Amino acid sequence: MVLLAKIALGFGATVALAGAYTFREGILRVDVDETRGNGSHVHVWVPAAIVPMAMHFVPRLKMAEAGECAGKFMPLVHAVAKELQRYPEADLVEVHDGQQNIRIRTHNGSLLIDAEEPGQTVHVVCPLATIDDVSRELAAFAPAS
Amino acid sequence: MTSRTRHLPLIAFLAAAFLFAPLGTQAQTNANQSSTSTHGDRWLHVRVISTNSKGETVRVNVPLELAEKVLPAIDHDRLHNGKVRIGCMDCDGVDVRTIFEAVRNSKDGEFVTVQSNDADISVTKKDGQMLVHVHEKNKPKHSQVEVKVPMKVVEALLSGSKDELDITAGLHALAGQGDVELVSVKDDDNTIRVWLDSKNVTD
Repeated sequence: MVLLAKIALGFGATVALAGAYTFREGILRVDVDETRGNGSHVHVWVPAAIVPMAMHFVPRLKMAEAGECAGKFMPLVHAVAKELQRYPEADLVEVHDGQQNIRIRTHNGSLLIDAEEPGQTVHVVCPLATIDDVSRELAAFAPAS
Repeated sequence: MTSRTRHLPLIAFLAAAFLFAPLGTQAQTNANQSSTSTHGDRWLHVRVISTNSKGETVRVNVPLELAEKVLPAIDHDRLHNGKVRIGCMDCDGVDVRTIFEAVRNSKDGEFVTVQSNDADISVTKKDGQMLVHVHEKNKPKHSQVEVKVPMKVVEALLSGSKDELDITAGLHALAGQGDVELVSVKDDDNTIRVWLDSKNVTD
C-alpha cells in the first residue's frame, strides 16, 4: 500500500512538474480552417518545450538539408526573435483589405499571426523563445559561407 | 507512513518551488522590461488608409532598436551589414552626396521653389530639418506630399563610404529625435503617414 502511494505520488508530482514546465514554455499552435468546399481543418497544438528537444532526434542528414535550405535566413530569424522578446506585447503589422485581414503581433512573449479571408482562416502562435532556439539549431547546420 | 514517505510531499513541494522560482523572477523581469520599453523605446509607425470601396488599411509598428539590430543580419542584394550600396548616387550627373553636404553646411532657408500649373514644389531647411513639400494640382489626382528629414539623420545616412547609405546609423540618429512626422501623403484615394513616437500602438 505504501509502495503504491509512493508510486502514485511520484507519478503525480512528475505530471504536475511536467505540466508546469510545459505551461511555462508555452504552446506552439497552428490552426488552419477552410470552410469552403471540402475544406481541410488542421489543428496542431504542441508544447513548445518539446520542439528543441525533438530536433535532437531528427536525423542529421535531414537537419543538414534543412540547414542548407533555410540556414542562410536563420541569423535574421534569430535576430528578430531575440529582439522581439523585448516586446512581449506589441502590434507589429495589421492589414485590412476588404474581407482579408492579416495581423502580426506579440502577446505574452509569443508571436501571433492571424490571417483571415472568406473561406479560410489561419492562426499561428509560436513562443519567441522557441523560434530563437530552432533558428539557432538550424543555423548550426547551415553550410559555411 | 514511514519517515521517508512523510518527506515526499515536502520534496515535491520544494521541487515545484524550485521550478517556479525562475518563472516568478522572469515575470518580474519581463514586467520591468515592458515598462522600460514603453517609456524608452522609439517606434516607427507606417499607416496607409485607402478610401476606395475596399477600405484598405495597413498599419506597421516597428521598434527602432529592433530594426537597428536586425538590419545588420540581412545580407541580400544591395543591403549588407546595415548599409545599402547605391550605384547611382551620382544620379544623371547630379552628385546627391555633394548636394546634401552643401545643404547641411548652409543656413536655414528655402532652397528650391517650383510653382507651375501642375505642381508646387519646395525644398526648405529649417531648424535642423530638411522639408520637402510637393503639391500636385493635376486633377483628378490631387495630392499633397510632405517629407521631413532631420539633418542629423541625413548626416548619419551619408556617414558610410561614398556609394552607400548607412541605414543602421540613420535609424540610430532617428531614435535620438523627438516625436516627428516624417512623411505625409494625402491624395484623393490614399492617406499615408510615417511617423516616430514612443507609443507601441497606432492611434
